Amino acid sequence: MLPIPGQVLVNVGDPVDPTQVVARTNLLGDFHIVPAARLLGIPTSQLGRHLRVRLGDEVRRGQTIAALSGPLGRSVKSPLNGVVTASGSGRILIEAQPTRFELRAYIDGTVSDVLRNYGVTIETMGAIIQGVWGAGRESFGVLKCMVKSPDQPLRARSIDSSCHGTILIGGTKLNEAVLERAQELQVRGIVTGGLAPEMLPLMKGVLFPVVVTEGIGEVPMSEPIFRLLATNEGREASISGRVRPRGGITRPEIIIPLPSGSTPPTQAQVRSPLEVGMQVRVVRAPLIGAVGTVVALPTHAHRIETGARVRGAEVDLNQAEPVFVPLANLEVLR
Amino acid sequence: MAQEQRIGSILVADCGAVMTKAMLLDQVNGQYRFVAQGEALTTTRHPWSDVAAGIRHAIEQISAVTGRRFLDGSANLISPELSNRQGVDVFAATISASQPLQVVLGGLVQDLSIASAERAAAGTYSQIRAILDGGKRGTSSDKEHVRAIRDNAPDVVCIAGGTEGGADRPVLELVESTTLACSMMEPEVRPLVLYAGNSQLRRQVTEIVGEEAELRVADNVLPTLEGENLLNAQEELDALYVQQKMGELPGIDTVSNWSPAPITPTARAFGRLMQYLWHLGEPPDIVKGSKATPSSGILGVDVGAASTTVAAVFDGQLFLTVRGDLGVAFGGERLLQKQGTETITRWLPEPMDGNEARGFFINRAMHPTSIPQEPRELWLEQALTREAIRTTLQIARPGWRPGVAQPYSHLLPLFDTIVVSGGVLAHAPHPGQAALIVLDGLEPIGITTLVLDAHGLAPALGNVAAVKPLAAVEALDGGGFINLATVITPIGEARPGDTVLRVQVTYDDDSTFSVEVNYGDLEVLPLPPGQQAVLELHPRRGFDVGLGGPGKSGKRQVSGGLVGLIIDARGRPLALSSDPQQSQAQVQQWLWDVGG
Repeated sequence: MLPIPGQVLVNVGDPVDPTQVVARTNLLGDFHIVPAARLLGIPTSQLGRHLRVRLGDEVRRGQTIAALSGPLGRSVKSPLNGVVTASGSGRILIEAQPTRFELRAYIDGTVSDVLRNYGVTIETMGAIIQGVWGAGRESFGVLKCMVKSPDQPLRARSIDSSCHGTILIGGTKLNEAVLERAQELQVRGIVTGGLAPEMLPLMKGVLFPVVVTEGIGEVPMSEPIFRLLATNEGREASISGRVRPRGGITRPEIIIPLPSGSTPPTQAQVRSPLEVGMQVRVVRAPLIGAVGTVVALPTHAHRIETGARVRGAEVDLNQAEPVFVPLANLEVLR
Repeated sequence: MAQEQRIGSILVADCGAVMTKAMLLDQVNGQYRFVAQGEALTTTRHPWSDVAAGIRHAIEQISAVTGRRFLDGSANLISPELSNRQGVDVFAATISASQPLQVVLGGLVQDLSIASAERAAAGTYSQIRAILDGGKRGTSSDKEHVRAIRDNAPDVVCIAGGTEGGADRPVLELVESTTLACSMMEPEVRPLVLYAGNSQLRRQVTEIVGEEAELRVADNVLPTLEGENLLNAQEELDALYVQQKMGELPGIDTVSNWSPAPITPTARAFGRLMQYLWHLGEPPDIVKGSKATPSSGILGVDVGAASTTVAAVFDGQLFLTVRGDLGVAFGGERLLQKQGTETITRWLPEPMDGNEARGFFINRAMHPTSIPQEPRELWLEQALTREAIRTTLQIARPGWRPGVAQPYSHLLPLFDTIVVSGGVLAHAPHPGQAALIVLDGLEPIGITTLVLDAHGLAPALGNVAAVKPLAAVEALDGGGFINLATVITPIGEARPGDTVLRVQVTYDDDSTFSVEVNYGDLEVLPLPPGQQAVLELHPRRGFDVGLGGPGKSGKRQVSGGLVGLIIDARGRPLALSSDPQQSQAQVQQWLWDVGG
């Protein structure tokens, strides 16, 4: 959606591609409040008779906008190129030309709804992977798997010119050298299982989206997510690093559109209760990111390491024995 | 009156940022009782995008427990109750699930009008996006002010400043900057302007704002330097929250149709219950033995997932403060960045660096319903809860008017009863941990009863009190709240290890127990819930336990609690060692002392 009202350029039913502009608006630019009355040395109420511009006039930097009469009269000049948008209380407001903001589709799909003056809803068929944290905005590119297994870190030395324009799939973590190399080679995005907390400050200035799928810390990417990304290596995908935990819960994501004509998957049941046999992911330490299968649902509460007694599930995590995990700390993978 | 007589069953719902609760009160043997509760995820977001769905999910759990049906074939609430016991007579709802009101504040002096405006905004769920300091004058300040409003695009700009008959030009310049900013924004996104400054400038303010923005006017929040007047401005901001934020929730119309009374912000209902408890005079059984008197107040603290509320009542007057951007699931990372890692880690019994803490808070925010599995994460959550209470209290206290309830200006006023609510407190693995969080967060003085709202009933009962006061009283009597502990805090100074208080406890069975408490100690004595005891307190000379002044001895009847009797002789203000290893040892010792 546009940040402020603007113009939507497509209609319901239109096909769109990721680079296509679907809406645009003008973002407010710089501005300057010129204290013209003070600069001229006159009472604020008298400024009106000394103005040399009117509301709506375009002005150029250095152009006289107010002046006293006479050859030696003082004058006030515009400090920037812009438009006179207001005057009053002895001041003149000049706003620079707004900057054009273009909203791109970001995914391949079809426009299914138009939000008047603000944006569109685009439908597509494919896989969506939601992460838990992200940085950067939206982009798209070809998926490229950089590790052999989800518990391996992404290394800078493995990033070469073949990574240009791609979305890199990593494993447990990445470091500053990886970010530098990726930016150098104009990678389109990075997906990683975990991210060390000390890397967080570096994410502010990153030039491409980064999506963390499991959590902050050294956490391997979960097996199903890694498998989904790796088997789609070579396919175009869209990636967004936007994250907003509260309210709208905007999660960082990767969308892999399926080829047209593909059979849509069955609709997942949102409220189906947890059952034995379901695949789940653990969302809290000490097993954050671990994926397994529910093997039992005890009817009684168990005491966990903190001393709390909680309801939970026995989960097979491919360890020697199933592990008890509180229900509140499980996500069902659908 | 006829309508009130027909109220038998009452269903109340509270829609929080993360969880939605529904509670059923009904008459059992002629008395209102809390009968059943259901809890479900709040459903304001995809895939439901309908706040009513979460309420329905919670109601379904009550149906499963009680065997009664509350929703009709169209999934709407059945009301009033039918002869076959389907439905309920009355439904009421409280909500805190909305985004907080985005506010830009303007004032002239940081510690005066700006602070008062901040406290006015804190009367509802709000987030301060920027502060316009009118004390800084000049073109560059104008530009900063205009940019702050334009870039933050708040819901409301609240301008205070100028006592009555005081400053005028600086206040009007703030209004001019605000109006200029509004003129630069698209009409649909312009903020509303709330003027709560020098009332003699209202006509000029109205002229300046003109047609550029919607203007509302409230009483001057600081009419004189000696006293604030926040109520009107708080009411205006609260009304804006209800109208602009709660009113925008998807599905809110459905919920409104179910309820004969307006839907209330959760914090307001919580505060109403505290006020109601104060006015009860003779409180229900659960707090018997520590009656609110004109010389002390009642305090309520609710630490939720996304917000923290402090409600203090003195002489029947409510002082409500809400941090709409700080709870145990959301806001931790921001608190860490703003106040520094040490603010949080000082409460931990083991070392932890800032990066690990930051990573924890980020992960927590993405999984707000999750619970700590490792002690390390539990301590971190409990540390955040302490700081949420402390930072909210910091905003609240300067606005209180406790009168004689505050014998020491630098310490908390006297409170007979402190009601605490929120998941981290209610679900602490050991009740001693909950008590310690409250003692560290609030630092109460004198003799206080800590009461735990174990089921999150407080806002619901505050709402019920407005509809059917008798139901609220009887529900409290019936065990809605649980006594956590009675706390005795002697005030004074001594050397660590000096005896500062002698206590003799006489139990119901006339057995006695005596103890001498040393300065620096945290002592816990057994007194289970449901039992009473008489305490004979003999403070050391110069020490005040709230029995009439320093050195005054006396007797007091007290009630038992989950933790029992706590004598907190650690000193006020509480001092933690600046050495991390020593403070960790201190915190660990305190946890052992309370049995946690």
